[in-house]
Formats: sequence, C-alpha cells, structure tokens
Amino acid sequence: MDGKKWGMVVDLDKCTGCQSCVVACQSENNIPINDEPLFNQRRAIEWIRVERYWEGEFPNIKARFIPVFCQQCDDAPCEPVCPVYATYHNSEGLNVQVYNRCVGTRFCANNCPYQVRFFNFWEPEWPESFHNQLNPDVTVRSRGIMEKCTFCVQRIRRTSRDAKKNGTSVEDGDRALNPACVNACPTGTLVFGDLNDSESNVAKLTESELHGDHGRGYHLMEDYGTNPSVIYLKKVDEDAELEEAHH
Amino acid sequence: MKLTRRQFITGVGGGALGAVLAAACGVPEDELLMQSKVGMPEDVVTGLDNWYATIGNSYSTGEGLVVRVMEGRAKKIEGNVDYPINRGKHSARSEALLQDLYNPDRIKAPMARVGQRGEDNWEEIGWSDAMSRVAHQLEQIKDARKNREVVMVTNPSVSHAALVAERFISAYRGTKIGYETLENTNLRHVVKDLFDQDRLPDIDIENSDYVLSFGADFLNTWISPVRYMRGYGEFRQGGHHRGKLVHIDSRFSMTGANADELIYVEPGREGLLALSIAQVIIDEGLGDSNAAKELTGDGQIDVGQWAPDKVAEIVGVEADTIKHVAREFASKDHPVAFGGGLAGAHTNGKSNLTAIYSLNYLVGSLNSSGGLIFNPAPPTSDLQEVEDNLKIGSMSDWRDLVRDMEDGKVQALLIDGVDPAYGLPEAIGFKEATYNVPLIFSFANTINETSAMADLILPCNTVLEDWGTSVPMAGPGYQVVGFQQPVVRPFFEDRGEELGTKSTSDALMGIAANLEIDLGLEGSTFKEVVESGAKQLFELGRGSVKAGDFRAFWTGILQRGGWWDTTSIVSSIKPSVKQLPEKISDPEFTGPDGVKTFNLIPFSSSSLGEGENAHLPWMQSMPDPVTSATWQTWIEINIKTAEELDITEGDVIRVLSAQGTDKSSTEGINVLAYPHPAIPPGVVSIPIGQGHTHGGRYSKGRGANVMSILGSKLDEQTGSLAWAATKVKLEKVDEWKRLPKFENSKPDLARDSEHRIIKITPIKEKH
Repeated sequence: MDGKKWGMVVDLDKCTGCQSCVVACQSENNIPINDEPLFNQRRAIEWIRVERYWEGEFPNIKARFIPVFCQQCDDAPCEPVCPVYATYHNSEGLNVQVYNRCVGTRFCANNCPYQVRFFNFWEPEWPESFHNQLNPDVTVRSRGIMEKCTFCVQRIRRTSRDAKKNGTSVEDGDRALNPACVNACPTGTLVFGDLNDSESNVAKLTESELHGDHGRGYHLMEDYGTNPSVIYLKKVDEDAELEEAHH
Repeated sequence: MKLTRRQFITGVGGGALGAVLAAACGVPEDELLMQSKVGMPEDVVTGLDNWYATIGNSYSTGEGLVVRVMEGRAKKIEGNVDYPINRGKHSARSEALLQDLYNPDRIKAPMARVGQRGEDNWEEIGWSDAMSRVAHQLEQIKDARKNREVVMVTNPSVSHAALVAERFISAYRGTKIGYETLENTNLRHVVKDLFDQDRLPDIDIENSDYVLSFGADFLNTWISPVRYMRGYGEFRQGGHHRGKLVHIDSRFSMTGANADELIYVEPGREGLLALSIAQVIIDEGLGDSNAAKELTGDGQIDVGQWAPDKVAEIVGVEADTIKHVAREFASKDHPVAFGGGLAGAHTNGKSNLTAIYSLNYLVGSLNSSGGLIFNPAPPTSDLQEVEDNLKIGSMSDWRDLVRDMEDGKVQALLIDGVDPAYGLPEAIGFKEATYNVPLIFSFANTINETSAMADLILPCNTVLEDWGTSVPMAGPGYQVVGFQQPVVRPFFEDRGEELGTKSTSDALMGIAANLEIDLGLEGSTFKEVVESGAKQLFELGRGSVKAGDFRAFWTGILQRGGWWDTTSIVSSIKPSVKQLPEKISDPEFTGPDGVKTFNLIPFSSSSLGEGENAHLPWMQSMPDPVTSATWQTWIEINIKTAEELDITEGDVIRVLSAQGTDKSSTEGINVLAYPHPAIPPGVVSIPIGQGHTHGGRYSKGRGANVMSILGSKLDEQTGSLAWAATKVKLEKVDEWKRLPKFENSKPDLARDSEHRIIKITPIKEKH
C-alpha cells in the first residue's frame, strides 16, 4: 500500500500502570496544569490516561491497568458530527483536530465511545516561568476548544520533513518519530509505527497477534466497528481460563 | 486597493481554476497542506533543537536523561538510550525536573533570616556576603575543637559533589551524614552480612523466570524502579519466556497489583514466611543440598519449627500456599528472591531480610543470570574515597544527632538538599532541636521545613543547571559513572554574579577559598573537579568512551551521558553460605492502648516521593496508579471495614498514634478516606509527600504528613527505624471533602463480561 498509516500496539501484559506516559504527554503537548478544582469538576485533561479496573473480591482481587487514548479510528464516530470540519481524517490515518476551526460544540466528545476527547472549559494558565518549558511545536489550546491525542503529530511531521530533506526515509522505531508516551514507557508496553510498512514492529505484531492464530490482539470495543488504529494485546493471566470459557 | 464585486468573483474563479490545474499537474498533497488557510497542527513549522545528555536524581539510583533544548530553554526530558540503568526509558519524576528548573517558587538569591528562627522571614543578600558570613562563622567555631561541632546532612550519593562535601567537612573535622526518609539500613546490613558486598546488588529480572518479592514496591518507588520495570517488560513478554511474579506484602502496592500471585502477609512476618518457604525446600530436598546443609548448620538449626502448618496462622498465609510457592520457586531455572521496603521496616526487619535473601542460596541465584548480580567498587580513587567515607544515617544516628543538638554540642548544621525536619518522625524532635544549634546553613532551591529553620539559605542550581557525576546506588552489575552537565544556563543568571543560584559544590569551594583552606581538589571550580574525575577515567584506558586524547574523551563522555565498562564485573565466585537466623523475634508495635487500632503503613508516593516533589504541579496532578487520587492525602482503608465504621470516600479521618496522643503539639493528622477493595482489613495505608508547613504555592498547607505521627521504634540490631511498626486509631471528624482523583472523570468503559475492556488470556506459549 502507498503512504503511511500510523498505528500503535499496547501490550497489556507489560503495563504496570506507572503513569510515565501520562506525564510525558503532558510535557510534550502543553497540557494545562490539572489543578485540584479541575479534578473535582471532573475536567482534568489527560490525552493518555491509565484506567484501573478491579476484578474479584478481597483477598482474591486484582487491579488491572489499561492505557486509553485516541484510537485514531478509520471509521471515527467523532468526525462526521463536527459541523465545522474541525476534526478530519488525514492521508496517514490520523484523526486530526484543527484547533482554529473548532467552535466547541463538543459533539465529537459526545460521540466518542472511548471518552478520549477533552474540552478546555477554562483558559489554560501557567505561572510565567513555566512558559519557558512549553513546547514551541505544539499550539496552546484556548478556552472553548476540543483537544485530544494526536500521536504527537509534530514529531511525525518533523521526522518526515527531515527525512525528505535528507533524501532518506522515516525509520521504524526512530525515537524522534515515536510519540512521547512511547519513548517514556519503562516496560515497553507501547509500540508505534507505520502499519502499512510490513517490516515495522507494529505491522509484525498486528500480523501475528491480531491476525495470527492464538494471538493476543484485539481492538477496544470492537463491536462498535470504529476500526481503530490501536491494537491491544491481552493481559496474560493463569486464572483466565474460567473467565474466558463462556466466550 | 478597492475591489469591485466583479473583480472579486473573477479572482476567486481564477484561484479555483488554478487549484484544479495545480491538482491535475500532480502537486503533492503536503505542498498544498503547507498553504492551508487554517493552521493545521500538522503544519506547524518547528525550530532547531539540541538534545544534551545528563543525569537525573529522581530516585536513589539516578536515571540517564537527554534534554531537549531550544533557544536556551529546556523543553522536554527523555531517557538516554545509552545509559545502562534506564536505557532510554524514564520515570514521570524525571520528566518533572523541568518544573523543578522553572518552578515559580524557586529561591532567587541567598537569603538571611530576619527575626526569630522558623518565622520564615528573609532578606536577600549577595553571594559574597553570604559566603563570607558562612566562612566567618565557621572560622569562629573551628578552634573550639569540640566533638561533632560541624555536621552536614546530605543526600547519600557517591559522586564528585559528595567528594567536595566530604573534603569540606573533613577540613572541619565534622561529620557528614547521608539522609534517606525511608531508610535502607537493614537492607545494606543484610547485603553486607550475607554476601560480603558493600553495594546493593542489581536484580536481573529480565532473565529471571520466577520473581519472589517481599514488601519491596520495586515497580513503583523502590531503589531503581525504571531499571526494574525495564526488566519486567522483558520478563513478561521478552520472547523467551513469561516469568511469574509472586509478591508478598501487607498492603496493596502497585507491585502487588501487577503480580501473578499476591500473597497478603501479617505485618512483620515476612521473614517467618521466607523461613517457612525455606523449610519446605529443605525438607523436600528441592534445592541445593549443600546450601541446605550450611544454612541449617548441618542440622543444628531445627527448621521443622517453621513448617507451613506450624506458622500458617501466625503469618496469615495458608500452609498450602506456602508449600506451592516453595515448590514453584525451587523448580524454576532462574528464580530470584528479594525484599526491602516494608519487609525491612519492622523491629525485626533485619532478620526478615536475612531470611528472605537466604532463599537465594538454595536455588543458586547469586551472581548468576536471572538472580542477584553484585556490583563492583567505583572505578576511580576519588569516588572510592567517597564510598569509603559514606555514612548513611540510621534512625539511631539521627537520635544521637538530635541529642547532641539538644545538648548544644552541634555548633553548625549544614543541610544540603534534604528535608529531615519533614521526614523524621516528630517523636525524634529534630525540628525543636534546631533551636539549640547556633548556626544552620541550608543549600536548597525552594523553602522546605528544614530550610525554613535556617539562618542562611544558599540557593542551589537545579539538576539541569549543574555539573555532577553519579555512581548508581544499585548499579547494573558493572562499573558506571553517570555524568551530569548543565543543559541550560542558570535560570536566574540575569540577576548578576551576586544574586541568583550557584552550584552547591562551587559555593562550598568558595567558602573554603575564603578561609584559605586547601580541599586538595583538582581545580578551582566544580566543573574542573568533575573534569578531573573524567581524567581519572580516561587514564584507566578502558570503558565505553574511547579517545586518543582527553579533550575528545571529555566530549565523548558528555555526549553519551557517562562512562561504563561492561567487563568490570564482580567475579563469579559465590559467597559462602551463612547460617539461617535461629529465631526471628516477633515484630513489636507502638500504638494507643485500649482501643481498636490498625497497622499504619506509610508508603512512598509514586509521584511526590517522600515529599521532595510536592512543589511540582505535574507530580501533584499525577494520579496515584492504584487509587487515581491527586493533590491530597488519603487513607486507604478496606472497603468492608469502612462500611462497618460508616466511612465513605472523602470523609475526613483523624489518624492518631500513641505518639500523636502523647504530645499536645501533635494531635494526629487529618486525611481523606478512600475505601479500598484490596487492602487487608487490619491495615490502613497513607502516602508520604504532602502536609508541608513551608514551601511554595503547590505544596504548602496541602494534605498531611504521615511521617509526623510515626512512632520511633527501632530494629535494635541495626538502629533502623521500624517505620511500619506504628498502630493507629481512627476517628471520624464531622467533615467531608471531595477527594480529587481521576477515576470517574470519564465514564467507565467496562460494560459487561462479554465486552471486556481489558481482555485476558491464559495462553502465551506458542514457541
């Protein structure tokens, strides 16, 4: 196939829930500081979040972690509902949010089954000295704007542009290309790359784990038919047999 | 130019035609995108950046980092792929070093106390004034020649900064003590006594197939979490096997949450449980028979006393569970057992850890693949000097210091970047004792509980502005020296020479120069000292950086973020087996009498650490992995117990220890209830990190400090604080406050068992 299609593989068997990805994303993407009132209003912004689910009862109880972020769906429910085309699908499979088109109807967030879109209810504010750390590659979103994970599109564009300039091609696993969360993840839970490049790690993992026999791959809430570009690999658990038996 | 309607339409039509023609001629899509009328996120044109390698200090074992710098400002921190500890990965805490650098509450110039001690009133003074004041005052007491006249409290690091501090303090015949809030004294004793090692070992998790951990929250905060998590990823899905993690704990830690099997143990009974596991292995002849013989002193020790059926009730673990863990552990090719944290934080902590680490003898996992890998001595004489003189304080040392302070024996106290007034239990009385010390100098970059008690605050550069070196507290099994370089100019440089911040080491060297004391260091600035350290490495002629001359070597070492030599390992001789402890004493607790009490387990916060990161808003707002709570102090209490006590989430709970009830000054702490489905009913757990009485806008007056109410029981063998030996009673205060947490910020994705969000599978062996 021509062109790129960016995708991510999330191996739930490796995720410890450590939150490195969350803070890396906040740093890279100029996420406003989530202060205490924002949590209490349930308006904290985390483009990538780690959800924790309980299973069982004490003492046979387990906590399970899952990083959730924009699934960059090929059939994204958020796209058709935007009255101003602020969210659209680009030629590399990304679901892109155009901030200066957004008028803040929040229809997209309403329609996203993964709950990964975040609305700026307030103007983001930092003490002046923190302005120094803001990433100049990423727009600071103002009040009234919807935002979400972009797969760090600024990194994709930078590496693509550099590759073009140097007459080379974008390399799989290049740390300048990887989204911030992927580089941070201490256990290697997150793998990023071009799904159209059969030699890339994500393509290989998708082939063996999603399409292969006995693979662990699945899409989040796949019955919605959103066709996500993110593939999750099941958590391995010795006690899983019984729970899976009725499937 | 005035535009008529006709001209406008013509223009628009022409433009549209042009666009169609351009498209027909095959203009690439991205060329058109560059001309889009709206600014798409994809179109932002970026400037040039530089990435500099350095070292972070977020955990006791530093991480190698690379920092993105644009136009003189640090923008992003990532892991250094070369650095042996973290290999490109990094923790959230390292990321937040940016906010340490640009913190709005940083101290911008030396400050002298105005008014009474502890009133937190200051006036800015110049650096030359500050340094001559310190020099003059230290000069005055220099001839007094009293015992322990000058004491320096600092981070327990092996580095060139520590070398400068060491030389400085020796010039005063003073004492330098390393400070750890949750001390690893027992662990160090056990590693020395059992294996005759002076350094903590590496744990080769990636090559292990069975990890048996006791009380150490190694996937979260313990010693070197990023290094362990890196191993854990491989351990899980490295392609060669999927290892099993069995975690033994008395609370529900993040490591427990990730274990294949989590075994709850009665607090302080970890060692007895380990001995029971050893008993099964020895009794059933599963492990190394020679080791078994030596462990039991050729049968002198009656291991039968620890048979699972006899101890099950005491340790709170079923006999069958003990047996199956023992059998699994002994049957694997590369099992490893280790412990720390909670397991060593009892009055019998050292014995617990001795029993736990002794399990490795039975399965041959010492200094071998998948086991504990010992670390060699530092490569150069100056770093060796630091290690030889390294004294890390135990609680009994702190008690002695406080007594000396109270007795007026301590003439001057130098505090370098640590906060004992926050982290030591109030029962020790450190803060009160500071009133008896004539001189207190604090090197700090924000006000904290300890610097608030100082006479003079000397503001130091943050990690990203300073030179330095670091020998990892738990190395990777070979020699490593990380190099730290300033990635940006000091942020307050524009305030001139006299104001702004300095490297602590440069300040100490300046004070010494003021007094004409020769510290015997190579060079007159700290940078030159670091450079001379590099020169020693260059002269070794081995290691990761190869160069024909020193300049090239120096550049190479800064580019790679350090020096290491993978061949400099501890030779594979096995340490001789030490006999098991004959008996493990019962853990002792302190707490209020005559009421229902709970075991209080404080824990290091994944974000705030032991309070040192409370001034960083990214860390305050980072959800706790298990509870998702932020910005406040909560108490984890079993959900059923809470129901019985009519406690719901957000209820304000007053937590009282015997310590808190004894003294009128401390009336316990108020925390928010978090009914927790996975914590044992007899235990309550509170994160460390909040409750700062001094500090900046993000930390001051927020939550409560659990360290303040701890009792001061020690492990008498080592003088280490038994920080998990406090019992508390809970009182419901008639108040409710919403617990700020991320959970429920978004509706639950999980729907039903047919449509799981997190799918699980028992299979993986497909090779």
